[in-house]
Amino acid sequence: MYSIKKLSFNSLILLVLTCLLMSVAFAHGVDAHTKQFLLANQGVAIGPFLYIGAKHMVTGYDHLLFLLGVIFFLFRTRDIVRYVSLFTLGHSLTLFLGVLGDVAVNAYLIDAIIGLSVVYKGFDNLGGFQRLFGFQPNTQAAVLIFGLFHGLGLATKLQDFSLPAQDLWKNLLAFNVGVELGQIFALLFILLALNIWRRFDSYYGFAVITNTLLMSGGLILFGYQMAGFIMVV
Amino acid sequence: MFMNETKIPMQSLKTLIITMVSAVLLAFFVLIAIVGPAEYAIDPTGLGKALGLTILAQPVEKNAKTVVACPAGNALQDWQDIVMITIPAASELEYKFYVDQQAEMAYAWASDGVQLYFDFHGEPAGNKTGYFKSYQEATSGEAEGVLTAPFTGTHGWYWKNTSSKPATVTLKTKGQYRVKGLI
Repeated sequence: MYSIKKLSFNSLILLVLTCLLMSVAFAHGVDAHTKQFLLANQGVAIGPFLYIGAKHMVTGYDHLLFLLGVIFFLFRTRDIVRYVSLFTLGHSLTLFLGVLGDVAVNAYLIDAIIGLSVVYKGFDNLGGFQRLFGFQPNTQAAVLIFGLFHGLGLATKLQDFSLPAQDLWKNLLAFNVGVELGQIFALLFILLALNIWRRFDSYYGFAVITNTLLMSGGLILFGYQMAGFIMVV
Repeated sequence: MFMNETKIPMQSLKTLIITMVSAVLLAFFVLIAIVGPAEYAIDPTGLGKALGLTILAQPVEKNAKTVVACPAGNALQDWQDIVMITIPAASELEYKFYVDQQAEMAYAWASDGVQLYFDFHGEPAGNKTGYFKSYQEATSGEAEGVLTAPFTGTHGWYWKNTSSKPATVTLKTKGQYRVKGLI
């Protein structure tokens, strides 16, 4: 029993370290090479946009932390598919409307709200709403609504580059499909890790720590983006 | 009614308060000590500087040693070459010319307000011992004069910017020399 606990504790440490390293390695905007491509690109480029979308999601700790929170207490495949689909619907909708409709929103504020979505999910996973406020917000509605904000976040990243208007929707679709592929890819790893972890009794015990870290991570993202908003705008 | 397929275990009020306080404290610490220094050079604890994180907060383009030559034409007026040399915060560089013995090079340089430590010096051509001769060594925002090279070799400036912001030196030269450039 002791060794099992130790094992899962080690994997938790590993998970936290990985998250920290990821956040150090990738400033979650668009990297220099991608920037160069996006600024120079004219016309339809399905492959590159697929890749940029997938990369954005796989390296996007803000989106991944939210997803981790969403599926933390989902045990049936059916439920996971439903929630992830709602998230996908939400962010695809605002990604398209945002870019095609040229909706101008401040990237820092959107990313700050995305940080709050992570805080919300951590708090929700601790049963915080029921305990403190005596009610449970509709979790499906919440994942859809926060999905909308995540999509606006994706839109702002692309809008920085005044993409050519001609055939914009094709590039956008490629980016969106890339985002979904990246999301599935990242989800596979998260689910794999969670499913191994769920075999151990420690899962519920560490659920408290994990969701506390989730809340904290969300607050860090929120503070980081708000500081950026105050200093730049 | 919505379907609640998430079986979320409700934590006790005590646990909930502990988790919320720890989440806020941890987030506050990471923001103040790590994210702030590394991203925005906001470093109230000094820990970011101790960990060397504040260097990350320098904007990329201002963090590079660059030389921009002014285009030829009217801007040059009495000069042969005018270059703008950017010295990043807390860093140093050298800019040199090939000048032959007894040849003359007139110069005038000025920084954009930042006081710079500089050593105007020359090294004889072919000398491998590391010997150099200093002509002028001071901390200033500008200097001008005419160099008559005491020997054939490379002659120019070592500038050190100890301030926390990048400095741009505008260096004007004319005479008998070839530009060696940034070292």
